[in-house]
Amino acid sequence: MRIHSLSPIALVLSMLSGANAQAPSKVAGGPAPYRDLSGVWAMQPAREVSEDDKQSPGGAIPPLTAWAKARFDLEKPGYGKRAAPGGNDPILQCDPMGFPRILYFPTPFEFSQVSNRVLQMFERDNVVRQIWTDGRALPSDPDPLWYGYSSGKWVDDATFVVDSTGYDDRTWLGAAGFPHSETMRVEERYQRVDRETINFTLKIDDPQAYTKPWIALPRVFKLRPRAEIRQGYCVYSEENAFTRRIREPGALNTGAAPRK
Amino acid sequence: MKKLARPRPLLALLLSAGALFAHHGNSAYNETARIPIKGTVTEFVWVNPHSQIYLDVKDSSGKVVNWGIETNSPGILTRAGWTRRALKAGDRITIIMCPAKNGQPVGYAGSGDPGTKVIFDDGRELLFTDKTK
Repeated sequence: MRIHSLSPIALVLSMLSGANAQAPSKVAGGPAPYRDLSGVWAMQPAREVSEDDKQSPGGAIPPLTAWAKARFDLEKPGYGKRAAPGGNDPILQCDPMGFPRILYFPTPFEFSQVSNRVLQMFERDNVVRQIWTDGRALPSDPDPLWYGYSSGKWVDDATFVVDSTGYDDRTWLGAAGFPHSETMRVEERYQRVDRETINFTLKIDDPQAYTKPWIALPRVFKLRPRAEIRQGYCVYSEENAFTRRIREPGALNTGAAPRK
Repeated sequence: MKKLARPRPLLALLLSAGALFAHHGNSAYNETARIPIKGTVTEFVWVNPHSQIYLDVKDSSGKVVNWGIETNSPGILTRAGWTRRALKAGDRITIIMCPAKNGQPVGYAGSGDPGTKVIFDDGRELLFTDKTK
């Protein structure tokens, strides 16, 4: 049988007409690109179930171990059932926010994919988190780091799964002061369901701090093509001036009735 | 003709006052209240993570009090259309804000608390809504 070969021009024309003939996508913003999370993403606000969910994974908080309870009792958070003005939230003096708390802070992040890593660049503190994609295993005894040690892989053409550990235990899991240990394991699943949308789930496994895994509230990230990440450094001298001029007056115990 | 209901802006503000996504790290403010204060800007501090607006406000006895209002980071404000020159000393403005619970002349206005905003005397408004959505 004779096979007709197409000239390059005819091939291009045929591809173009084929593209034009396709039915418009019914998926919002078009289909998800192949194994690609690049772009600026913003977490969609959700009504927090309680004050304990501020800048936190949310969901049902599992029972604390005795170790975690002792730490929790020392924290003086600005939010949650024990909230009081002032307090010892590490971020009040620009200490690192840590992971996953930074993910729940309401400023966007950008994913950038390079040969052996996915970079997650947060506006808050200008943090760049490296997620290795070269198949490496997590270290068995990692140095504790503010943003841990992360390894990710595509489990299908739209779903990127990240495992991480080795987190410095001075950071909180949210503004209410829930602790974690250095051996905390975090599993994140970023499922890009269309061009504009990532469905996100997260699980914390930290037997030193919680008697059961902490399953986060499922969240949604939306692509923000018009947004840019700024250099959002927290500078101690500036934050200290803010504390002196606004935070401390607001935290004074004046005995005044709440201003209506 | 049916009588039109009079708008009740303060009530509407109070009803819409749930703090969806407050993130300023303390519980000093009454986030269920929206209070207007009117005065003259003395300083606009454009720094991360808390920009600040200071303004002289005359109280009911005629005494001038300098208020400090916490607002968002330059990143959030930029995406809401602000610049570092959005406010300057001498501007006459009204701020709808969440006041401190303890009665001190400090408060919060920003994206964490919908309904808060800055209104210039000529009617122009500075809002905290993200325009990159």
